[in-house]
Amino acid sequence: MKLSKLSLALAGVLVLSAAACGGDDDDTAEPDATDLAPDTEAGATSEPGAEPTTASEETTPAETEATEAAGADDTAAGGGGGGGGDFSSILLPKCTGIAVFDQANEGALEAAGELGVSEAEFVGPASCTDSTGQIEFVTNAVTQGVDAIMISNNAGDQIEPAVQEAADAGIAVVAWDSPIPSGQGESLFVAQVDFDETGQVMADMATEILGPEGGEIAILSASPDAANQNAWIASFEEVLAEPDYASLQLVDTVYGNDDADESYNQALALIDAHPDLKLIMAPTTVGIAAAAKAMQDEGLCETVKVSGLGLPDEMRTYTENGCAPQFALWSFVDLGYLTFYAAHAIATGELTAEEGATFEAGRMGEYTIEVDPTRDSGLRIVMGPFSVYDESNVGE
Amino acid sequence: MGEPSESSSERTMQSGEWAWKNTWNLLLGAVLLATVIFNVTQSSGYLSVDNFVNLFELHIEKVIVVVTMTFVIIAGEIDLSVAAVMAWSAAVLAALHENGVPLAAAIVVALAASGVVGLIHGFLIARVGLPSLVVTLAGLIGWRGAARVLVEDRSIGDFPGWFDRLGQQDLIGPLPLAVVIFIVLFAVGWVVLDRTATGRVLYVIGDNADVARYSAVNVVRIRFGLFLASSLAAGLAGVLFAARLGTVRGDLATGFELEIITIVLLGGVSIFGGSGRMSGVALAVLIVLNLRNGFGLANVGGNTQTGVIGAILIGSVLARNAIDRLHGRVRSPRSRPPGSAVTASTEPAGI
Repeated sequence: MKLSKLSLALAGVLVLSAAACGGDDDDTAEPDATDLAPDTEAGATSEPGAEPTTASEETTPAETEATEAAGADDTAAGGGGGGGGDFSSILLPKCTGIAVFDQANEGALEAAGELGVSEAEFVGPASCTDSTGQIEFVTNAVTQGVDAIMISNNAGDQIEPAVQEAADAGIAVVAWDSPIPSGQGESLFVAQVDFDETGQVMADMATEILGPEGGEIAILSASPDAANQNAWIASFEEVLAEPDYASLQLVDTVYGNDDADESYNQALALIDAHPDLKLIMAPTTVGIAAAAKAMQDEGLCETVKVSGLGLPDEMRTYTENGCAPQFALWSFVDLGYLTFYAAHAIATGELTAEEGATFEAGRMGEYTIEVDPTRDSGLRIVMGPFSVYDESNVGE
Repeated sequence: MGEPSESSSERTMQSGEWAWKNTWNLLLGAVLLATVIFNVTQSSGYLSVDNFVNLFELHIEKVIVVVTMTFVIIAGEIDLSVAAVMAWSAAVLAALHENGVPLAAAIVVALAASGVVGLIHGFLIARVGLPSLVVTLAGLIGWRGAARVLVEDRSIGDFPGWFDRLGQQDLIGPLPLAVVIFIVLFAVGWVVLDRTATGRVLYVIGDNADVARYSAVNVVRIRFGLFLASSLAAGLAGVLFAARLGTVRGDLATGFELEIITIVLLGGVSIFGGSGRMSGVALAVLIVLNLRNGFGLANVGGNTQTGVIGAILIGSVLARNAIDRLHGRVRSPRSRPPGSAVTASTEPAGI
């Protein structure tokens, strides 16, 4: 009972903070992590008036959510037992305890508030190295009889039988962040960005930072078998091959396995191996922060810059002191928000997952489903765009 | 155990044993009951045949190895390499399949490959006399490395349909093959440990290998057999895991060894060897599986699950201490199995 009380309290807090943020989140361009902190001022003022969205219930979303949270442990149990129109779902990250996934959950909570339905249960394996843990969560969700499963796949093809079973049971399976490679059992993949765009953005940042004279650059990636990392590196290399970027020479690619320590050491090894290195490009939030710290600790920020994909919260000091003048990321809050809207629309039958179908995702507008060109089969919507952060906006 | 040769003094000791073991199992039973009650009240969907099958199926590879691990630990040894051997046999299977070897043959070779591991471990531990902790720790690193070399950073799949179906679909009634194998293995393990001379000898070796040796027990052969069985069971579990997942990666089953050992210890098997029973391990299996399943259905996250299992393990060890004290056994960290020394010395034949 203690547990359920605790989760109740937690749910309440989350709901309140989501409601507090709900009003001032309309600006999609600046989805930084800071607006996750419950902004009490905004919350106080926005609560009664600022419901500009689709929520058309008599009660405010906050109230709706509160009552639903009170019966929260039956979301699972009920399988829609909350009566007509209720919606039960799980939001399954690669693992829990990672900032960006918590942000995605914030977005999903916001969407649930706007739609006036129960929020998704945010559950997942405790460790990202536990690749088969997700199978258990998907299987349990089928037993629970949820309406939708939203998954950032960390189990490669291994998730397929479980996802297929869910699909056979009539559950809408929406992948986000990381798709089911074969597309089997998956209704839709909500892609954060067009993977090809990533290379362009990284190349542009490198040019911006190094100026016309360019120089040697190296890549610090996560693990050598991370599909999205490899896709981004490939697209980066493709863009670098264009004549416009001839001044940039890619000299090395190393892997820090998304481990802060290992990434730090790999960054140091890079500058030893390449004395003329001008820039470390790390398309991973762990790698970029570790590399920036390494350069800062070595006092090398003037000669070797760091860029890539990073979290504003973690990168702020390095951006302000010039170690990592520019970096990019998409909003995970928006990704969770869009995913929840898509999953809800598919599960309720409002949207059929097929090529060319369109749907309205709250504040983010209309999206059209297309065939995913990065996989052999499967459908996707592309969220985009990148937000590029520098000194001027990193603190916002 | 109803041995006709029991002396009266031994019988007295056994009734003490009986009380001790049953206190232990009663304790586990109470934990299990609490878990089930929690699940029934917190998670609808828990009480269904499908869910009970799921509950086993999701961890079936671990609990298969739990059977042999129980034997190993009772005999005073440890096998840290089991998860790595699972990956190794699955990797051999996948690599052969990828190179066009018929899958049936690949399965046989994969099992043989795990048997080779068992022979190597057995030789180093039983024959050369190295500590099993060191040998199997090296195995944990080495066989995982070998698996990664074979599979690299890929995920090998596309097994024939029959293999995937074998791992994923029901075979007998609602039970998939792996669950059937587990039930059979567990029953055999129970009988061997509780009802045969070999089982009793395991307790003697675990309690005091020197005594066993002086009692004309072939300790070397028994230990050899133990590690061979342990690796074979792990190899089989690896193949079954590959069938359930449909693909093989180098990181398959990473960290399983600790979960397996946790279940065995929770079952009341002493890490010092020489004591523990299959009935306790059966209860521990049910506790851990029901807890993970029920918590999962109640949307309690992985961190909390792991924490609760850790707390139960610590609690059980503390309770064990308290029970030991109650029975005046504080002086020895080991407790004696049913009629161990006496039986072994009077029955050396057939070992």
